[in-house]
Amino acid sequence: MATDRRAEVTWNGSLTEGSGRITSTTTGKVGEQDVSWAARSSDNAELTSPEELIAAAHAACFSMALSNGLAEEGNAPDELRTSATVTFQPGEGITKIALTVEGRVPGLEEDAFRQAAEDAKQNCPVSKALAGVPEITLDAKLAG
Amino acid sequence: MTWDGNVARGAGRISGDTGAFTDLPFSLPARIGRVEGKTSPEELLASAHAGCLGMGLASELANPDARVEVRTTIRMDEVDGKGHQIVASTVAIRGRVPGLSAEEWQEKVAAADAGCPFSTLLKNAGVEVTVNAELEEGT
Repeated sequence: MATDRRAEVTWNGSLTEGSGRITSTTTGKVGEQDVSWAARSSDNAELTSPEELIAAAHAACFSMALSNGLAEEGNAPDELRTSATVTFQPGEGITKIALTVEGRVPGLEEDAFRQAAEDAKQNCPVSKALAGVPEITLDAKLAG
Repeated sequence: MTWDGNVARGAGRISGDTGAFTDLPFSLPARIGRVEGKTSPEELLASAHAGCLGMGLASELANPDARVEVRTTIRMDEVDGKGHQIVASTVAIRGRVPGLSAEEWQEKVAAADAGCPFSTLLKNAGVEVTVNAELEEGT
């Protein structure tokens, strides 16, 4: 079935002097969030940004796809800890996404885990929507 | 983010680096069915797209008295032979911009869409991005 997820943003004023707020989403779980250009384009981020939300979306999507792939082979994970770091270059856009995942998967070899993670990186819906990002890296390992 | 268990019955929690959101719960049923108060990758992408377009339009308008509202809906669907895909992002924009004509407004909106890196990524991936923009009368 098709699913729709909605978000609303209000912006007041110019880009650099003004500010915006995510006011509403389908579930409300994202919550009201202020956004600004300064927070988006500097390292001193105190507010969220489109890129942080994309990072959250990608980490979540990848984790779901990986858990599904592992379970289909009879190796449902106990836990996956995933991070996604989205690099934003003003004037260029999103230049890189770095995915890392550490899994606790009983009975699985490291190589098989890496392969499953690579498949999830290629095939999760958010990865496909972000396929135009110049560089998407993956570091996958089992928890020691 | 962390995920426990398999995709159908497991669940995850998600946090952002800035601490603006922490431990948001999400799950596959929340993603593909009724929402049950859990967020999903698509809801986060809708927030990202609305934020990107709102900022882009603010940049194009360069007007301290401008107010824009952006509503974005991301649709995920199962596509024959390709599994689940993000197929569309539908955007509705309302603006109140003193001194701007309807024609200029549409030009600014088109420029913001063209200049939003996330819009470009979605379009290049075959996602249908539709933007409808209204300028409030008498502004």
